[in-house]
Amino acid sequence: MNLKRRRAQAEPTPATAARTDGTPPALLVAEGVRKVYRTGEIEVEALSGLDLTVRQGELVAVMGPSGSGKTTLLNCLSGLDGIDAGRVLLNGRDLFAMSDAARTSHRATSMGFVFQAFNLIPVFTAAENVELPLLLGGIGARQARRRAVEMLERVGLGHRTGHRPNELSGGEQQRVTVARALASSPAIVWADEPTGNLDTATADQVVELLHELNRRDGQTIVLVTHDLAIGASAGRLIRMRDGRLVGDELRQPAWAVR
Amino acid sequence: MYPNLTPYLVGLVGLALAGTLVISLRHGVLRRLALRQIARRRGEAALVVIGSVLGTAIIVGSLVVGDTFNSSIERQATAALGPVDEVVVAPPAQGGEVARRLAPLRSDPEVDGLLVLTGGEAAVGKGDGAGRKAEPRAGVFEVDFAQAAAFGGAADRGSGLGGPGPRSGEIVINSDLASVMDARAGDVLTVWLYGQPTDLRVVRVVPAEGVAAAGAVERRRHGFVAPGTLAEAARKARAARPAPAATPGSGGLGARDPAAERLAPQTFVFVSNTGGVKGGNSRSDAVAAKIEAALGPLAAKGKDAPADQGAADQPGAIVDKPKQEALREAEEVGNELGSLFLFIGSFAIIAGVLLLVNIFVMLAEERKPELGMLRAVGMRRGRLVRAFIIEGAVYALVASLVGVLVGLGVGRAVVIVAARIFETFSEEEGGFNLFFSFTPTSMVNGFGLGFLISFLTVALTSIRISRLNVIAAIRDLAGEGGRRLKRRWVVLSTLAAAGLGAWALLAVSQSRGVETYLLPTLTALALCPLLLRLAPRRWVYTGVSLAVLGWGLAANTVRPHVFDDGSTATFVVLGSVLVFSAVVLVSQNQELLTRPLRPLVARPSLAGLATRLGVAYPVARRFRTGAILIMYGLVVFTLVLLTVLGNVISSSVGEAVADASGGFAIRADFNPSGPVTDPSTAFTSGRFAGKVAAVAPLTAANARITGLGRLGALDAAAVGVTDAILDGGLFPLDERMAGLGDDRAAWRKVLADPRYVIADRFLGDQGAGPSSIDYHPGDTLTLTDPRGGTAERKTIAGTLRSGQAFYDLARGNGPVILSQRAVAAQFGSDAELSSALVAPAAGTSDEALAADLQGEYLPASLVTTQIRRQVELDFAANRSFFQLMEGFLALGLAVGIAGLGVVMVRAVRERRRTIGVLRALGFQSGTVQRSFLIESSFVALEGIVLGTVLSVVTSYLLFKNDPELQASGIGFPVPWTSIAVLVAATAVASLLATLWPARRAAATKPAVALRIAD
Repeated sequence: MNLKRRRAQAEPTPATAARTDGTPPALLVAEGVRKVYRTGEIEVEALSGLDLTVRQGELVAVMGPSGSGKTTLLNCLSGLDGIDAGRVLLNGRDLFAMSDAARTSHRATSMGFVFQAFNLIPVFTAAENVELPLLLGGIGARQARRRAVEMLERVGLGHRTGHRPNELSGGEQQRVTVARALASSPAIVWADEPTGNLDTATADQVVELLHELNRRDGQTIVLVTHDLAIGASAGRLIRMRDGRLVGDELRQPAWAVR
Repeated sequence: MYPNLTPYLVGLVGLALAGTLVISLRHGVLRRLALRQIARRRGEAALVVIGSVLGTAIIVGSLVVGDTFNSSIERQATAALGPVDEVVVAPPAQGGEVARRLAPLRSDPEVDGLLVLTGGEAAVGKGDGAGRKAEPRAGVFEVDFAQAAAFGGAADRGSGLGGPGPRSGEIVINSDLASVMDARAGDVLTVWLYGQPTDLRVVRVVPAEGVAAAGAVERRRHGFVAPGTLAEAARKARAARPAPAATPGSGGLGARDPAAERLAPQTFVFVSNTGGVKGGNSRSDAVAAKIEAALGPLAAKGKDAPADQGAADQPGAIVDKPKQEALREAEEVGNELGSLFLFIGSFAIIAGVLLLVNIFVMLAEERKPELGMLRAVGMRRGRLVRAFIIEGAVYALVASLVGVLVGLGVGRAVVIVAARIFETFSEEEGGFNLFFSFTPTSMVNGFGLGFLISFLTVALTSIRISRLNVIAAIRDLAGEGGRRLKRRWVVLSTLAAAGLGAWALLAVSQSRGVETYLLPTLTALALCPLLLRLAPRRWVYTGVSLAVLGWGLAANTVRPHVFDDGSTATFVVLGSVLVFSAVVLVSQNQELLTRPLRPLVARPSLAGLATRLGVAYPVARRFRTGAILIMYGLVVFTLVLLTVLGNVISSSVGEAVADASGGFAIRADFNPSGPVTDPSTAFTSGRFAGKVAAVAPLTAANARITGLGRLGALDAAAVGVTDAILDGGLFPLDERMAGLGDDRAAWRKVLADPRYVIADRFLGDQGAGPSSIDYHPGDTLTLTDPRGGTAERKTIAGTLRSGQAFYDLARGNGPVILSQRAVAAQFGSDAELSSALVAPAAGTSDEALAADLQGEYLPASLVTTQIRRQVELDFAANRSFFQLMEGFLALGLAVGIAGLGVVMVRAVRERRRTIGVLRALGFQSGTVQRSFLIESSFVALEGIVLGTVLSVVTSYLLFKNDPELQASGIGFPVPWTSIAVLVAATAVASLLATLWPARRAAATKPAVALRIAD
């Protein structure tokens, strides 16, 4: 199946269009999202009827103690995991009303991911890893490679395009992950503890990179972190506890900065 | 099988288990670690056990096949002979004296019975017209039934003959004769005793066991008549016989009339040793010596006795040890077939070992972080190895025990198929049935070998695993890889290379099979550490593997006699060397080889991405992919080699028929007591006029050969031929003496000059292959008449390409062919006109002519053999046997396919995180499944193609280097259809084996995969 056709599905709908007051349109709307984990007869409610709206261009940090449901929130809102109740709209489309295949295609064209453990494909080079979402989006091989190299240059790895993950440092690997997440210009990037495996200096570089992308390109980013400094530097800080949102601070709207 | 191996294997297994037990008892923490790993990862433990089970099963299966053959032949021999351990055959004139001299042996403590029979061969017929049944060579005996019943005591199943004896005009027949004649009690049979027809009524049918099979294993159809019947028939025959006169066809053998002398019954003395049917065999040599001592000068001279001793012109009594011979043959055949299956199975065993290594390495990969932690908290490398050894010993023990049971099933399956093949022999060769059987020795040996292979594999792999970088292991990072070897190891390996190289040169110069392939390979490997200091790794491995591969393919051309020792080990080493080197070559150059796939993987489609991923993993994981490639490559290599060689052999059937028949399609054997005196006339006149193109009479005598190369004294048939041997066509020669223009010239030389002979190619061959034959045309031999003592020096003018038409004309080895005049001059009356070769006229079928001849000369007990049919039957049996071996080897393929499935199951588990990422990035579940299927197909196809190409090239080189096959003019027939079916079936089976893991991969939920992984 040619994936070019699928890109059309990710276009904004009137429901999420920009408001006249200059506030960016809502990119992601979560309503009453509930997620329960079941192990045998034991049930653990990881998300308890959570509501959240993320607007275009926001950099949202999600913080909370371990087990508060941060990663579950990210997995559910991105459609990586299923939900037990509620709905999640991305660009006005209900993720869980789609089939698994449609949701997967939607992910390929509209989302980027940065994981704590980098999660690069070990048998692919840096360039091959970065071009993967582009190829999935139906872009031709030559163009995809050009764009991948551009993205790697942008994250300061233009000289490492032909290296495999095991030949890169942790910081370099995470920068490749960021390049991969952004390569297809997704509507939203999900970052789960992107600095968790990095030393302070490298972590700062990666965070700065994400901030720059958010500031310069208006890239919407939702990142889960334990790091107070990263949380404090985000435009919006959401706090979680026991599967519930317990705080939502809009500190510096991205649109206000730009 | 192999009882001599048992003590060593038991000892080694005991040592391994005792060592493991000591480690377990002394280090409780290691024991807990090992055992809890097994309990914790039951699925993985099951995979390791399955990998090991297959190896043990194949070994046990091979041994069971050997046991079955051994036991079946032994059972046939012991059933047919019963209490008969020795048989003394006395000529008519000496029968009474022989029996008298042996009588005192009845009181010997090693002998529990003597039974005297008189008898000879006779044709038997029943009915006439289309329903006529006939047996041209039945044994007809007179015996005291009361004595026969008591013969051999009450041991085992009795003597096999008892009840009231037949009266005049009656006959008791054994079940084998009854079956052929379709006869039962009350039927009347016509028996041609010494050519005189006598009607006898069947009074009883007795089992063809013990005495009723009358002491012979080969000829089992017998009847028993009333005392005096034979003497009366002989008297009538002598009276009816015209005065002896030399006939042109018989070559004029002198004044003595041996045929007339044979018109009297022979005397047979059966001797039963104490110790029962089987136990008595151990006394056979001692009792035979006592018999010969008792016979004194009446004993026929053994082949080691000087030729000038003994009474000239006295044939002498022959002492046979039929049971000992049959049991020895049973053991030999059992061992040979067991070894053959073990040889074929060895490729599957190597595949099993690699599977085990692969699984264990993958297991360790998964445990790497915890192994790193163990090392970090202070566990020494040695202790890590010991913990693995405990774990490995448990796997090996369980797997070997289960493997023994599975092996019994494998052996049973092979025996079922083999029994069907041997059923085809039974009609032609007197019956051979396979009875599934196994011995405790084989079970112990199979268990021991399987256990040791698994244990050693796991132990050695553990040493490799234990050499991990602690930090890299804890952080689950890729190892450092390619650490530089210390200087002292480089020096040592270079010295080893020099030593191995010198040894290799010596071995190659002497064309020693295994060493010719193995030593140069080891030399090249030992050079690697030095070369790695001088050049990049990829260059070194590519160069070394290319050199080894080149040598593996070229060695047989450079040293044409490398396979002459007939050792199957040479083929195992050759196959392994070729496949291992080719796999290293491919593994080091995968990027280059997969370059043609680039347009496919660069496509911006799901299929393109799946292909990219499917190819990327095998290319990146060299060790794992290499192990699977070797598994596939080895088995496919052998399967295709068997298929191609089987086809080459089958294609040469026409050539073999021409070689064996020399233009004569039929051999007619006469009963010595009633020969056709002038077959040349008899077979071309009367009802045979126009049906026969040529007749070549054969005169045969027992002879002894000495002074031929390294061979000791040999019994052989001296065969006399006339000019008629060239009338039907020509028996082609393998080699001929220098100076003789062609094969016909060599034959003419022999026909004209009594100093020359044509010899069988395989005189003295004990199955050790062509290297045991070291004589050639131009060499001389001494041919001796063992009865008369006349010895003459002969020169070999040529060696026969096939001696089949001349086999079994006399006792002992293959034929030495002379002119009939030369045989008559040296062997006198001991040379019998025993057979004739017959060439049917154009338009006459072999089968019809053979049946006509046999029917016409039934009273003379003439037996015909269709040479063409015999050769074709041999080839058909060969083909079936090749198919059986291919079927057995398919087990190895099952190992390979199962191995691929297992590796893919492990890969899915290992790559859960990657699968999660791919799904997160937008890979459809179907694309993930497709990428796994592409990956397994890529590896399987690479292995299949590698094995097939190597095999076809190797078989072509084997064909090219075989002068006989080259001369046959059959070309190089490659069975492409069979190979295509084999390749397709293997590819499909591989795909099916990986379908389940691929589906599991596709069903992986991305969030779960990422959550678990993180």
